[in-house]
This record gives sequence, structure tokens and C-alpha cells, in this order.
Amino acid sequence: MKKLNIALLLAVLAAAVYLSVLPPDSMQAAQAKFLSLLAPFLRTGTAVQEQIGSMGKGLKTLDEVEADNRKLNEVNRELLTTNNLLREIESENNRLRLALEYRERSVFRLLAARVIARDASSWWNTVKINRGFEDGVETDQPVLTEVGLVGKTTTVAKNESIVVLITDETCRVAAKVEGTREQGILSGIRVQESGAGGELQLNFLTKNAALEAGQKVYTAGISNGVFPSGILVGKVKEFRTRPLDGQAVVEPAVDISQAEDVFVVVGAK
Amino acid sequence: MKAAVGALAACVGVFAAFLLQQALPAIHVLHGARFLFVPMIFCYAAMVLPFPAMLFAAFCTGLLSDLMYLNVVGGQVEIALGCSIVFFVIYGSIANGCRPSYLRGHWWPVIPLSVVCTWAFLLMQFAMISLRREGFVYDEAILWRLFAPGLLAGLFAPLLHAAVKPFAALIPDNPWDTRSY
Repeated sequence: MKKLNIALLLAVLAAAVYLSVLPPDSMQAAQAKFLSLLAPFLRTGTAVQEQIGSMGKGLKTLDEVEADNRKLNEVNRELLTTNNLLREIESENNRLRLALEYRERSVFRLLAARVIARDASSWWNTVKINRGFEDGVETDQPVLTEVGLVGKTTTVAKNESIVVLITDETCRVAAKVEGTREQGILSGIRVQESGAGGELQLNFLTKNAALEAGQKVYTAGISNGVFPSGILVGKVKEFRTRPLDGQAVVEPAVDISQAEDVFVVVGAK
Repeated sequence: MKAAVGALAACVGVFAAFLLQQALPAIHVLHGARFLFVPMIFCYAAMVLPFPAMLFAAFCTGLLSDLMYLNVVGGQVEIALGCSIVFFVIYGSIANGCRPSYLRGHWWPVIPLSVVCTWAFLLMQFAMISLRREGFVYDEAILWRLFAPGLLAGLFAPLLHAAVKPFAALIPDNPWDTRSY
């Protein structure tokens, strides 16, 4: 082997070692820059996919559009009325909590986002969304839909972010089961079967927890945690007793493989 | 000059392969296994390019892979930047050993090289995340996801050669100027 080749080989290996000892923050910053570089291609790809997918579907007659518009206006009015009513109840609730010296419950500000790419890897369950730090997104912010919890943000670039899904083994959520005092740690599994909505496991439940299929699972909202309390995560599918604890298999509320429009919880109002 | 162009083309090819992989869905009948074109393109480049250009291609491929798959959990990185660079440098050095055979007109070693490289890359990722997480787990889907992409890469490797051959004039010392295969 030529001396030049050996020198080059050593230089490349030295660069690899240097990169491997960078702090995680620097690695995430590098990934954020790479994500910004990749984003225009991903957005174009998503737009093309949408165009192809919506071919023939998007054409409607004027009558149909008018009917849709009427229906949407009706729903909008109904939602506004409900929202106003709930606001009044919320302020009344906060007044009463204050009177009882409870902590005031905050309402979170939601930022609408769109999924621009799904992870193309075999081992991780993540998606990329079209909102970044310019929109107010930060690391470790919950992501949800109107149906339930989706995941949390990890790497945040200028106009894009990576969201690790609750179906991923590394995304852990403190969760409680509806109608019981059972609380545990919810996480995904290493490899989710393709095509299905995914499965979660709720660990560290008591051995004799009498959980039944169909019971709803909500976030428990521990202090200094990422996820606020009361977000629907899924429902119990099965309960297993293990030597030291109980484990529930949970079906996610959101079909994550289909979710396209999500909300990032960017902070309190 | 041709080596530099070749190394640059390999990097562009790897970047395009990442975008293509991103656009392709998982294959349900193969338990969610995915198409992985990056190891295949790298293997072809490693077999075709001179050693210094191969090193450059290995650095770019490894860096892009690490940036693509970086996952930070609780302040800890699962697969640190640089790990894939070391993998591609080692594997590229092995693949580069087939270059004399390529220069004699034998392109087919790219098939077994692509298959083994894809398997080895996925195994490395799986081993590293297993060590970081709660140990190794066994599942039928895991075996499919480990081995099916390699077999698919083996099927696509001849197509890659057919696609690259018209541009053989850009390959350093290419054997296709004077002989056919």
C-alpha cells in the first residue's frame, strides 16, 4: 500500500473519531443543518406524491363545493360556540382551583404542522414535519392530533423538525389507565409490524391490576416531564401478568402511519 | 481528474439514493423491510474508484448515513457520528480489493459485495441500538428487516451497472472502452 494511501486512511479514521466524540448537542446541530439541506427535496417529493394521489379526487362540481362550504360553516359555528362555552368553564374552573389553592391549569398553544417525510430506516419510528425553530418549535415538545398523542420533537432545524413517534422504543411516556389508579411507563416496541397501526407496551403496572380491553390510556403528566396530563394515548388491548409486574398492550389512538396533519404543543397560552 | 469526478459522482449518487429511499414505502409482504440503495451504490463506487477516491466516497457516505439516522435519546446518541464512516472505510477497503477484477471486465462482484454490505450495515445498526437499549431481542420481523434489503440490493446491482455503463468514459481506467461484456 502506498504511503499516501495509508496517510489518507489514517486522516479519514481520525476525522471519524473526532466526529464520534462531539457532544450530542453538536451532533444534533449538524443533523439540523443536514435536515434543512434535505428539506426542499422532501417537500417536493411530498408535493408530487400528493399531486399524484389527489389526481381525479380533487375535481368537484360547483354545487358540491357550495354544499361543502355550507357544511363547514355550520361546523365552524358549532365549534366556536362550544369553544366559547368551554372557555367560560375553564376560567370558572381556574377561579375555583385558585380558591382551593390548586395550581392553575394552563391551556396549551398548538401549532399546526404537516408531515413532510416518514423515516426510511428499519429501526426507528420518526417523521419529519414542516415546522422548526423559526415557528417556535423546540426540542422535546409534544406532538398530537385531535385524536391523541403522536410523539415528541427531537432535532429541530430552521423550518423542519424530527418527531420521534410513541411507537418507537425510545419514546417513553408516563401514562395512567382510565378509571383506575394504575400508572406506568408506556413505550413502543423495537420493530413494529408494517401496515398495522402499531403496538405500545405499558410496563410497571401492579400485578393484580384488573385492566380490561378497551380501557383508555392517558398521559400522566409527571412534573418536569415532556407530556402534559390528560392526552389520550390509546386503549388497552390486552393485560399480561409478569413475575414482578403487570404489562398492558396498548393500541395507539392515532394511526400514526396515516397521520398527516399534526399539532405541536409550543407552550402555554 | 477522473477519480475526483468519480468520487463526486458517487457522493451525488449516495445523496440521491437517500432521497429515493425516503420516498419508497416499506414492503408490507416482507414484514416492513425497506429498499436500501446506499450500500449498493457505495459498493459499486468502492470497486470502481482508486483507493483515495474510495476513501472520500466512504467519508461522505458514512457522514450522510450518520446524519440521516442520528437519534438522540435522553441526551445520549444511539449511533454516534463517525461510526458509519469507519464501517464504510473498512468495507470499502475490502471492496476496493476487487478493483483489479473490475479492470479486467468482471463487474459481477458488485452483486455479492452489495448483498453483504447491506446485511453488515443493518447488523451494525441493530447491534449498536441493542447495546444502547434493553439488549437484543428476537423477532421474525427483525430477521426479515435484516436480510431482505440485502437480497433486494443484490437484485438491483446489475441494474445499477447497466445504468452506469453508458457513462463508463468517466470511470478511471474503465475496461469498457475496448471490450464488451
